[in-house]
Amino acid sequence: MTSNPESDKLAELPWPGPIEPREHVSEAIRRECTRDLAGRRGLGTAQRVALSLLVSAGVFGLLLYHGVATRPESAWRAALFGALGWSVVHIGLLVIGLARPPGRRGPRSLRWALVMGVPLAFLVYLGFAASGAVPFSEFIRGEHADWATKCGLFALFSGALASGATLLVWRGTDPLTPGLSGALAGVTGGLCGAYAMGCACSATEFWHVLFSHGLIVVALGTAGWLIGRRWLSP
Amino acid sequence: MDAPRDGRLIDATPEDLMERYVDGSAPAFDALYRRLAPKLYAYLLRLTQDRARAEDLLQVTFTKVHRARSSYIRGAPLLPWVLAIARRSFFDERRAAKSRTEDLSNDGTLPEPAPSDEPVPPELSVALERALASLPEAYREAITLTKITGLSVAEAAEVLGATRTAVKLRVHRGYNLLRERLEHFNRAP
Repeated sequence: MTSNPESDKLAELPWPGPIEPREHVSEAIRRECTRDLAGRRGLGTAQRVALSLLVSAGVFGLLLYHGVATRPESAWRAALFGALGWSVVHIGLLVIGLARPPGRRGPRSLRWALVMGVPLAFLVYLGFAASGAVPFSEFIRGEHADWATKCGLFALFSGALASGATLLVWRGTDPLTPGLSGALAGVTGGLCGAYAMGCACSATEFWHVLFSHGLIVVALGTAGWLIGRRWLSP
Repeated sequence: MDAPRDGRLIDATPEDLMERYVDGSAPAFDALYRRLAPKLYAYLLRLTQDRARAEDLLQVTFTKVHRARSSYIRGAPLLPWVLAIARRSFFDERRAAKSRTEDLSNDGTLPEPAPSDEPVPPELSVALERALASLPEAYREAITLTKITGLSVAEAAEVLGATRTAVKLRVHRGYNLLRERLEHFNRAP
């Protein structure tokens, strides 16, 4: 574009420069912004990542404790391995998506690919990890549905706790990509709720793990995007 | 604050100034304001095309920066950070104003703006300012950010929430429209 001679002509145009606001406006702003000027240094990105992980670890610890107390050792052990693998993805998401200051967080397309790709990969993983499936028409009726609803609500609550805390920790930090950062916070929290639920819940049936454990990642990612647009921008 | 440290404010980057301001330094805010306000005001003026609204939004933007200073993350490029806050404030204000005062014509549609019959001005700088004001908002904003506030294409893309290619395209199309509207001056001897 700059090699275009026509554009070069435009580059030589008398472009207007920055404009000084009127003095009374500047005075009012200076007065307002130097009032109560006590030091207010906030947390850095490493501390915010650590706090987000701490809350998620708390949620995971509680659900794991429940699983250890109520399920046979072989069952919660198998789920624990899966959870540990996904917790690495969880940490990676936080580090790649949020750990650098806004404006230096890497390509938007990569971050969107993570927001879309990780929940999808998690659903595929659940599909492979599930053992057996009742027909869908049977699943949506009776005790299967009751159990799935209770389990799904509990997973959603756990994930919302982790997502909400993450959104709170990053509140007001990103005016550049607040929706995207919110979606990342939502997906990480949802992922935490889902893999922790895998340790707490003994169900391995396909529709159950898909709806009760898996879809909360998508739901909380979407909620994080909507909430983040308001909360994460100053 | 002691004098030598104040003296160093002149050489400090906007990001350094912001950090000192966050730590509670009023002189740092003053220096920061002198650096940022003219660029922000120029941007807001071209967004709103109204001096009073631009000044109101400038105040709103700085008030938000003041309130949110503890959530500024060390190392974040400051000008795009502040411009993004200003842009959001503009859209919030416009949405609120529209819902308050929107006048619909009899058929229920929005009224079209009246065509401009102003004569072509003799001064190129004035003509450029008018031509810029007449551009579609997306093109005007992309040109203002890259040409007047001095952001790189990558930084402008961050502020606008668009890809770099989209910003380049908007600037290019905006330039083409400007060229058409300034043809009168190209033909002049």
